[in-house]
Amino acid sequence: MKKWNKRGLLATASVATLILAGCATAAEDTTDTATGSTDTATQCTDLRVGVTPYGMSSFIAQGQEGMEAFAAANDIELLWTSAENDIATQASQMETFINQGVDAIIIAPVGAETLGPQLQAAADAGIPVIAVNTTLANDALITSSVLPDDVAAGAQEMQQMADHLGGKGNIVILQGPLGSSPELDRTEGINSVLANYPDIKVLAIETANWSRVESANLMANWLTSFAGQIDGVVSENDDMALGAIQAMKEAGVSPLLPVVGVDGIEDGLRAIEAGEMIGSSLQHGRVQLAAGLAVAQKVVCGEMVEKYYVYTMPPINAGNVASYLGNVVSDTDAFLARLPELIAKNLETGNIANED
Amino acid sequence: MNQKLSITKTGNFRTLQEKWTNQRVVDLLVRNSLLIVILIVMVYFATQNERFASFGNLRAVLIAAAPFALIALGQTIVILTGGIDLSVGSVVAMGAMSAAWLSIRLPPEQLWLAIVIAVILGTLAGIINGLVIAYLDVPPFVATLGMLTGASGIAYVIGGGAPINGLPAEFAVIANTKIFGLQFPVYLMIGSFIIMALIMKYSAFGLRVYAIGGNRVAAEVAGVNAKRTLVQVYAISGSLAGVSGVVLASRVGSGPPSLGVGYELLAIAAVVIGGASLMGGRGTVWGTFLGLIIIQTLGNGLDIMIVPSYWQSVINGVVIVSAVAVDVWANRRRSR
Repeated sequence: MKKWNKRGLLATASVATLILAGCATAAEDTTDTATGSTDTATQCTDLRVGVTPYGMSSFIAQGQEGMEAFAAANDIELLWTSAENDIATQASQMETFINQGVDAIIIAPVGAETLGPQLQAAADAGIPVIAVNTTLANDALITSSVLPDDVAAGAQEMQQMADHLGGKGNIVILQGPLGSSPELDRTEGINSVLANYPDIKVLAIETANWSRVESANLMANWLTSFAGQIDGVVSENDDMALGAIQAMKEAGVSPLLPVVGVDGIEDGLRAIEAGEMIGSSLQHGRVQLAAGLAVAQKVVCGEMVEKYYVYTMPPINAGNVASYLGNVVSDTDAFLARLPELIAKNLETGNIANED
Repeated sequence: MNQKLSITKTGNFRTLQEKWTNQRVVDLLVRNSLLIVILIVMVYFATQNERFASFGNLRAVLIAAAPFALIALGQTIVILTGGIDLSVGSVVAMGAMSAAWLSIRLPPEQLWLAIVIAVILGTLAGIINGLVIAYLDVPPFVATLGMLTGASGIAYVIGGGAPINGLPAEFAVIANTKIFGLQFPVYLMIGSFIIMALIMKYSAFGLRVYAIGGNRVAAEVAGVNAKRTLVQVYAISGSLAGVSGVVLASRVGSGPPSLGVGYELLAIAAVVIGGASLMGGRGTVWGTFLGLIIIQTLGNGLDIMIVPSYWQSVINGVVIVSAVAVDVWANRRRSR
């Protein structure tokens, strides 16, 4: 089914590319003069930036808000698209941006092994490409990137659990889809911390594919396997952490076992506030993606940028959850109002994830 | 001479009787092979972990099974007509997303509206499937494949591509109300099974479904309105998928648009393990119940034994094919 879908899209994409190619020859003059004028004047006002994320996850939806706030404050025109998790769609979106002669392209690639020809075309046209949230295996042609540190996030959540348990106890681990890059990285981080705690025993480690329903069913079965033996649940995202909590409630586990997650989604933050989760690590789309746009602006304006900006997810716990809830959920307007200034400051200090 | 004859007579009689009883026992075993397999599997898991046979674990199996049971029921009657409904997984997602979307916008006293609209949307999807199949003569595989893509798209549109979070506590009450220690969806599952079994066994509608699946032309000659019945069948499948979506969203308090991916295949597996023929006309609600129980029990037991999920997939695949192979063999044996 998926294959059929992709093939269909591929067909439409290739047709679209043909049409675009036709248009491009017709519009060649205008494109040339447009890029020509930017090159000679190196002006950095009225920028046009194309954005193609892999799809509209809640993270990307937050990121769009952040980018739009930054763009409004800096007179940047955003050309927002979404690849809907299809490689061919993303490739044709990039080609469209190149043909339109945008000043920069921001991408969150669908797959790590994609977009080679499009990156080359962008480089040939002198258009910088900035990767946000996800990147390519071969990033030689990527100008700069703002990426989360998933290894650090895994290590951070395992550390939160180890501290909570006093370095001793039995845990179960809920993983993301096996073989996906956040799963591999977060598991690596978890294992690196576990190596320091010989008294923490992993009873079971298994995937629940980021899903609350799957995690609730899996945790229910684990509660049967290890009745009374589990001391804590380490989940690689908040959704699965919430599924585990649901299973404990259904099975009448009281008090709830400590649970830790990653991402800082709304329901996760509320669970921390309610004392049902001990912590999480915030992956804030508004901050991460706006930083990507700020980097793009710097590049176009000829300023020096680093190749890699790392978004190190801030730890969230009962102590600081209130302020993050404001930034992420309840008081986003105020946060977006001060976001442009915050992003500029973060690029200076290099602390990309800072929200103070 | 006389003596000899009587001896041969009694001898013949004895062997006949023995043959007859052996045959009966074997027949009985073959006919209930699935039930026997389930019992063997359960006994095995119980010896591996004594808590497998606990009430708590039964509860876990039942609540996990409930949403699948609803779509497997719909799938059963669809397959009985000789059709297939590939869209149920996506309709689950559409139901869950629409209920979630409404639940955060409606006042608590109108939450029932969220459920009703989600189920209506599911029914509509089913009716469209049925109309396209019955009146446009599009093969069910193709028609419902289209709905699979379309309904999934709508699920993403409803949430703007993102999951819907922060559902009100009142909405979570639906799936989390406990009666005698079991959650409401479990009763919904059991009730639906009983009602559907009765309908298929005793009602004219049930008869029509079997007749269409057995031989559509003959059924139409006999006066069955096959087109109308087909629309009804797909509408029931769609509405049950809508209910399933509401149950799932309510249980975990979230509407993820990716919910239900692959559920249609699990539902089809339950139906064929239960002995239904994909050609239509043959199968029972009871069989689907057994098929569902074996899939869910295996998943639960293998989780408890901490068997990695990749191996679980392999085992599930073997079970599906061997269950159907045994069924085909038993049928050939019976007809011989």
